[in-house]
Amino acid sequence: MSVRNITPVKEFEDILPKEYKDLVNKGPFNNKKSVDDLGTFKEIIEEHPHCAGCGVSLGIRLALASLPSPEDSLVVGTPGCSFFALSQSAVNYSNTAFGNQNAVATGLKRMLQIRYPDKHKDVIVMVGDGGIADIGLDLTLHSWFRKEKITTIMLDNEVYGNTGGQESGMSMKGRVLNMAPTGKKFDKIPVFDMAEVSGCVYGARVTVANPKKVGQVVRNAILIAREIGPTYVQIFTPCPTNMKFPPDQTIKIAKEAQKDQYSYKEFMTDEVAEYLKNI
Amino acid sequence: MYVTVKVDKDKCTGCKLCILTCPEANVITLNEDKKVCINSNRCKGCFLCVSVCPKKALKEGSV
Ligand SMILES: Cc1ncc(C[n+]2csc(CCOP(=O)(O)OP(=O)(O)O)c2C)c(N)n1
Ligand code: SF4
Ligand code: SF4
Ligand SMILES: [Mg+2]
Repeated sequence: MSVRNITPVKEFEDILPKEYKDLVNKGPFNNKKSVDDLGTFKEIIEEHPHCAGCGVSLGIRLALASLPSPEDSLVVGTPGCSFFALSQSAVNYSNTAFGNQNAVATGLKRMLQIRYPDKHKDVIVMVGDGGIADIGLDLTLHSWFRKEKITTIMLDNEVYGNTGGQESGMSMKGRVLNMAPTGKKFDKIPVFDMAEVSGCVYGARVTVANPKKVGQVVRNAILIAREIGPTYVQIFTPCPTNMKFPPDQTIKIAKEAQKDQYSYKEFMTDEVAEYLKNI
Repeated sequence: MYVTVKVDKDKCTGCKLCILTCPEANVITLNEDKKVCINSNRCKGCFLCVSVCPKKALKEGSV
């Protein structure tokens, strides 16, 4: 995508919807924007059907506002609630068979490197906790072992939100859910730690209660993946519908998690530390 | 009748915390006067913005 690609021909200028014109005139394409600029430019997400107060849609909104080059980004998803907002966005987006996201992203990244050898094309996986920790765990880990230069972002609501509340590997031990009536029996899968030992050169664990941090780590993760290797960002994105808390409590729940399973964590290789000093 | 949020312009300092908290894109924007403005047509009434406003400038309301 680029402004040139989305600029309408003269004949269509008048009849296009306002949202489209805004995207051309006040959008983020070729015009560096960040989380700090939210509220002052036309974002690339349109109206979406996420529930009121959904942490996943907030996480996506923050992540998309942090893309260093939205016009040269390809977002890869998989089934889950994240599909709702991502499919409403003006960014190249591809859904995949459940769990296949990092395999598909690998192919796309390699193909883009051949097709555009002089350009950075960022391939970013944005999927739920079930998509990574359960159904796509093998393909995710293997893309890290192979050192594919892609960024993987987990939108962790600690449940299968989209299908009505089954437990996920990322649900907390003991958590009672619609379809886990006696509570989950084992601990949260340590995907964040696994990322570090499996080849990711950078990782960050954040929550939507810290939007500027989310923006900063997503941006860094994408820039690092361009140059050095696979990166991983895990964002806590609470789900009021399945966790059964009122929708105005999403930030409060995320803040509480920051004192517990979602304390801020970051890891990076020496090469990444050196690289970050210079950007 | 729809639920939405009303802004008390006298209390708003334009800190943008609400903008960074709303799960909807382009529903809260910053005006030229550096006060926030709500697009009531697209607000889902979650009141997350109300919960984070340090100046209590946002209130639950309806249209
Ligand atoms: C192979 C396959 N199995 C099951 C499903 C049904 N399914 C769709 S979304 C989903 C759960 C997604 O959970 P998660 O990845 O945590 O995303 P969330 O909806 O919580 O954001 C499941 C089981 C599917 N689409 N494909
Ligand atoms: S079910 Fe949960 S994760 Fe899915 S849209 Fe609703 S609040 Fe968001
Ligand atoms: S109530 Fe929710 S949807 Fe409406 S403006 Fe506030 S944060 Fe956004
Ligand atoms: Mg989930």
